[in-house]
Amino acid sequence: MLTSNNKIFHRKKIIALFFLLTLLFVVLFGRLVYLMVWRAGYYEELATRLHERERSIKAARGRILDRNGTVLADNKTVCTISVIYNQLQDKEEVIRVLCRELDLTEEYVRKRVEKYSSMERIKSNVDKTIGDRIREYDLPGVKVDEDYKRYYPYGELASKVLGFTGGDNQGIIGLEVIYEKYLQGEPGMILTVTDAKGIEVDEAGERRIEPVAGNDLYISMDRNIQTYATQLAAQAMATKEADSVSIIVMNPQNGEIYAMVSVPEFDLNNPYEIPKETLAKIQGSLGEDTGKDDTEQEDKAQNQAVSEAQTAGDALSAEQRQDILNGIWRNGCINDTYEPGSTFKMVTAAAGLEKGVVTPESTFSCPGFIVVDDRKIRCHKVAGHGAEDFVHATMNSCNPVFITVGLRLGVDDYYYYFEKFGLKKKTGIDLPGEAGTIMHKKEDMGNVELATVSFGQSFQITPIQLLTTASSIINGGRRITPHFGVKTLDEQGNVVEEFAYPVEEGILSEETSATMRSILEMVVSEGSGKNGKVEGFRVGGKTATSQTLPRGSGRYIASFVGFAPADDPQVIAIAIINNPQGVYYGGQIAAPIVRQLFENILPYLGIKEYNEL
Amino acid sequence: MAARRNKKRRREQSEYFFDYSLLFIVLFLLGFGLIMIYSASSYAAFEEFGNAAHYLERQAVASVIGLIAMIVVANIPYHFWERFAVLGYVVSAVLIVMVLSPLGVESHKARRWIGIPGTGFNIQPAEVAKLCMILFLAVLVCKIGNSIRTMKGFIFMILAPMPIAGMIYIITKNLSSAIIVIGISVLMVFVASPDYKKFIVLGLGVCCAAALLIFLITSTDLIGGFRSGRIQAWLDPESDAQGIGFQTLQALYAIGSGGIWGKGLGQSMQKLSFLPEAQNDMIFSIICEELGLFGAVAIILMFILLIWRMMIIANNAPDLFGAMLVVGVIGHIAIQAILNIAVVTNTIPNTGISLPFISYGGSSVIFLLIEIGLVLSVAKRIQLKEL
Repeated sequence: MLTSNNKIFHRKKIIALFFLLTLLFVVLFGRLVYLMVWRAGYYEELATRLHERERSIKAARGRILDRNGTVLADNKTVCTISVIYNQLQDKEEVIRVLCRELDLTEEYVRKRVEKYSSMERIKSNVDKTIGDRIREYDLPGVKVDEDYKRYYPYGELASKVLGFTGGDNQGIIGLEVIYEKYLQGEPGMILTVTDAKGIEVDEAGERRIEPVAGNDLYISMDRNIQTYATQLAAQAMATKEADSVSIIVMNPQNGEIYAMVSVPEFDLNNPYEIPKETLAKIQGSLGEDTGKDDTEQEDKAQNQAVSEAQTAGDALSAEQRQDILNGIWRNGCINDTYEPGSTFKMVTAAAGLEKGVVTPESTFSCPGFIVVDDRKIRCHKVAGHGAEDFVHATMNSCNPVFITVGLRLGVDDYYYYFEKFGLKKKTGIDLPGEAGTIMHKKEDMGNVELATVSFGQSFQITPIQLLTTASSIINGGRRITPHFGVKTLDEQGNVVEEFAYPVEEGILSEETSATMRSILEMVVSEGSGKNGKVEGFRVGGKTATSQTLPRGSGRYIASFVGFAPADDPQVIAIAIINNPQGVYYGGQIAAPIVRQLFENILPYLGIKEYNEL
Repeated sequence: MAARRNKKRRREQSEYFFDYSLLFIVLFLLGFGLIMIYSASSYAAFEEFGNAAHYLERQAVASVIGLIAMIVVANIPYHFWERFAVLGYVVSAVLIVMVLSPLGVESHKARRWIGIPGTGFNIQPAEVAKLCMILFLAVLVCKIGNSIRTMKGFIFMILAPMPIAGMIYIITKNLSSAIIVIGISVLMVFVASPDYKKFIVLGLGVCCAAALLIFLITSTDLIGGFRSGRIQAWLDPESDAQGIGFQTLQALYAIGSGGIWGKGLGQSMQKLSFLPEAQNDMIFSIICEELGLFGAVAIILMFILLIWRMMIIANNAPDLFGAMLVVGVIGHIAIQAILNIAVVTNTIPNTGISLPFISYGGSSVIFLLIEIGLVLSVAKRIQLKEL
């Protein structure tokens, strides 16, 4: 029994205990308030992130349009069919339907349907009509997601310039790479609430974050000029049995490129397909030894090579395949360098005139060769051009005269102008993988090297570099940046950004530039470039025929640079034929290409004939 | 009419007290617990057993058994149990050892249960031990009388439950139950002894030891292993979100996303297999998620009310033995509720403690109801005149 004394302290202790315990509950209450009021947002967000599974929605990639608004790269709606294992009900039905609609083998579909994974893709790039049909079956667990696929309406047109996109809609080559950030847009998301195993919670529904479409890119290319240039190039390649033919058409005043062709082009809608001829050629070079011995069997062997090539297409290793594809995708106009040959005499002439070591009236005598130090360098005309002034030397493309001009400048000055004209730098064109110039080091340059450089040999530049430098020589001495990108527009057609490109003024005086224009006009009207003459227009230009390394291989590069009108150049073009068979002189095979081109595009561009002026 | 009025008058004039408030609080908690168990477990139960009410049914059966036991115990004068004090102590020790026998049942990677042959139900010896310890210490306090005021008596009282607590910790690897047994004992001794100083020193000592331990674990690599990992996970649950911190973090997600008003009953997302075993120790976080701060506070208030009612009973108990029994029950329920909520809110390191009357667990609810029966039995002996 409790004594009264004991009872009092027990009661006190019990009440103390009660308050102690209550205090602890109050502390926990405080902790709960902190967690559920102050930290609620933080934990709720984390929890939401945990509960939601996201499927991304591809953003429509921006289109690429030419200067007239013709769509060159577009998007096509396609569907991706996938299955979610946990949501499938009638697997057999699903397998049957997917086999039938997607035209796949049962084994292939069964493997994927029965695979235990959160989401298994059955087929992507399915036509929208088929996707809609599958959706109508309303099969639980079968997802039809709409998606965009890049589509190039003109197939091969400007393939190496436009480039194409990969599986994640990212640019792989060409403009698609350079303008990726404008074109790509922002992908959206479908967020579905799921339990820990990834099963969708039906009542919770879906949350969508809409994708933002990419911006449209307007480029300076003109589809008509590009198409025509491609036809000319393909024709020349076929008739001259050349390895490749490149044509660039540009506005020399601002650097806008109207066309850039490098045949053979490839199909942008099937960029990973290796053409049969290419495979046959590869196979042919591999099997050359056996094929050559017996000429009678050559045709047979050729056929065999083609059929072998078809099987070899699959047999190629991934690395070999990629090498071949990289070769196919290569844009010769900017990715490859070559010895420019006589077209480079424009640069020597411009430097000589600017420095004053030569005037158009200066007279020279060409005996058919020139001795530089201990080396005898021959003119292409073995008998020599005899006495001639500088204008005629240019018209004749006389090597000894240009060597003389180069030597008068000396290594220091020549190198100075070479750099001043921007030849050591890249042009800065908005295409990936531009090759740099391969040039002697200044300290390694002797008279012999200087002599060869003077007429365009022993160093290498890209075609776009040559065209850009030629442009600055004839446009009054402004080094322009060649480019395609003009502006980007958003979905509503508002201009997002207009691109500006650097222009370097005064690399050449206006007088020298004018002199160069008139000399180069003479080259076309009466000199070696007369095949480039266009009835009714004043055209200037320069031809070149260069032998590729190693010398004596019988491989040549024929080229011609032409511009019009000669007194106020609005368009400049270069045609390069790589390894033509038969006649290989630039003046005879490359100049006519530019002539044909100009005959068509000058009126098209609204350039008036001189007698209309 | 007359008979009814007559009956009513008789109840008003009843000599003895029956604490209906206490009973209703307990019934409320039990009923609320069943609803929350169904809400928290139905999704996982359907996944696992194809029966959404699997856990609910089992808990309902245990609750009914417990309620019957409670009524029986409430009607037995509590002094009847005095003679079983030592026996209870021995029985709990034997039951704990029996976990190691073939009758022992392993579940959740721990061997803590004894299967009752032929019923499919398991019993947790630690729950038996808690009840027996309350009885044993209540008797001991009465027997020892005034010598509790001496240091020797005090130390004896503190050491008396240690063998059982030690066995629970060592044999069943159940640290939390051992802590609860010790906690109950300390609270009972606290009430029995008129002294405050010793307990303040003891409390400070425990706090310092805990602080030192945490310091050692965080600043050095001297102490490794499972428990130190738990300390790290407590201090920064996100550092090991996929490992030890996983459960704590999932509970915090649930609590945090509940907000003030909660998502509504049945709307918890975390119970969809994100929070493992949501119906067990972590059920409080599901309450927070579904009913918000509001629901959580309501539950805390119910526990405070429950303790308050029992405090009234203890203060008016006819004798020391009765008072000590009630104090033991207060200690048991309060410690478990406080520690459970503290674990769920990551206030203390994670350790498995169930929320009394609400968490899923048959043994727990049956023994808790038996304890309530004891309290009601004590209450019955209170003479209304004395109030």
